[in-house]
Amino acid sequence: MTLVDAIWADVVALWRPALLNIYFAFASIPLGFVLAIFVALGKASRNRPLSRLASGYIYAFRGSPFFIQLFMFYSLMLALNLSVWKPLGIDTIVLNPLVLGPAILALNTTAYSAEIFHGALMAVPRGELEAARAFGMTRAQIFRRITWPNMLRLAWPAYTNEVVFLFHATALVYFTLPVIDGNADLMNKAGELFERDYNALLHYSVTAMFFLAISLCIFLIFGTFYRHLMRHTEGPKRIKFTTARL
Amino acid sequence: MLDLLPEPLKAWLGPDVTFWLGYFTNGKHIAFFVSVHYTVLAALLGAACALVFGLMGAALWTSRNPWLRWPGAVYVNMVRGVPDVLFFLFFPLAFEQAMEWMRASAVCTPEAAAERAGQWPPCPDANIFFSTYEYLALACVSLGIVYGAFAANVIAGAMRSVPRGQLEAARAFGLSARQVLWRVHLPQMWIYALPGLSNVWMLIIKATSLLSLLQIADIVQLANRLGAPNFSRSAGLVHGDWRWGYYLVLLVFYIGLTFVSERVFAALTRRASRGMAIEGAAR
Repeated sequence: MTLVDAIWADVVALWRPALLNIYFAFASIPLGFVLAIFVALGKASRNRPLSRLASGYIYAFRGSPFFIQLFMFYSLMLALNLSVWKPLGIDTIVLNPLVLGPAILALNTTAYSAEIFHGALMAVPRGELEAARAFGMTRAQIFRRITWPNMLRLAWPAYTNEVVFLFHATALVYFTLPVIDGNADLMNKAGELFERDYNALLHYSVTAMFFLAISLCIFLIFGTFYRHLMRHTEGPKRIKFTTARL
Repeated sequence: MLDLLPEPLKAWLGPDVTFWLGYFTNGKHIAFFVSVHYTVLAALLGAACALVFGLMGAALWTSRNPWLRWPGAVYVNMVRGVPDVLFFLFFPLAFEQAMEWMRASAVCTPEAAAERAGQWPPCPDANIFFSTYEYLALACVSLGIVYGAFAANVIAGAMRSVPRGQLEAARAFGLSARQVLWRVHLPQMWIYALPGLSNVWMLIIKATSLLSLLQIADIVQLANRLGAPNFSRSAGLVHGDWRWGYYLVLLVFYIGLTFVSERVFAALTRRASRGMAIEGAAR
């Protein structure tokens, strides 16, 4: 078997597990996005208890490792199984890794995204808000026409990075949650292939290539949307990747 | 451990409290508390490795020689597309296999190797078993490799942030290129790198939770063992599934680490920015 054949065999073996990582990311991103907007608005709110609560949530989830969060929520769900989920008859849904995984990922990305959106919210030009108020816009109108578009534009590059980091975090899900129905993800499958012939370099390189390719796709898609968001402006509209998950 | 408490204090605490004090200081729990040192060691040594790899990566990446610049660029940019856990697992595996391969070429007879064709290691004699501390060292180096790429980014950016005037002045004083680098450029770079390096440190702290993936019995693994439903034949069910409680403690522990690190870095930044003409510098 030549090297090309070996690589191709790995690509064939790994494409379906890669779909699982993509599923985890795409199931959690929309939920995390919506929740993050609310948490960011909560942190920026003048209501002190609400603001404290949102800040606390963000601090707790950004300050602790995702790996521990996974373990914590999974074991919490297991502990509640006999007393809550079983009697309700929803134990197979709640404990299903395809439901629980995205749920925990969403909780995690909500905190990171909320911090990004909160930063953007604070950077919305004051003059535009004052002008909108002078025009007699209602608060809902101001949010829809001034705050929201500005916030999205300001936050988008950082949010793109967050989505890539979230995608990378999906690699950790199955180190905690059980694999059911053979729904292995990339890291599972790579480990399985490794145990078959102990060729770490080949299998992990191909796995890395999958992550790299999908990360690049995310950049491409989000970059295209960023150009759309910034279509009225001049100058470069490229997203720069920051290497810290902020 | 409970024997160390004086009798009057024990009487004052009551039987319930003393029971739980005894339970949470039994041998298994003491081992759990002691295993924190793996996490702390991995974070500190991993950060030291990351700093070394970061300086080397930045030096390569900003080099004028394309043969050095390209490997540097690949190294620094690789981590953008590949999750840290993959490197974290791959490097120790690859290192172990490389060691076994080297040993196999020395100790394996052709007959023994032929018998185990297609298996690893090539012959039983070549098998290497690393101790926990050797795995810990490997984990530190892997952390250094992964987060060194992050640090290289930060350091390269910080090198660019040092005002040109400072370097031109140094050159005008007649310092050689080497002297400018070591006496002016690098010392002034730190203050610009500190915020970024603080971020990298936070990432390293969080990555230390992955040690259990390398068979190190760290806090995560011991929390799992201690909290698992405990059933004994004589006493029946000792306790149910308490794992979430132990993980909650770990969560709080990590949040505390982050909190302390933030404070320390804020103090460091204040100290390092004394007399520097930058935003927020202490005067």
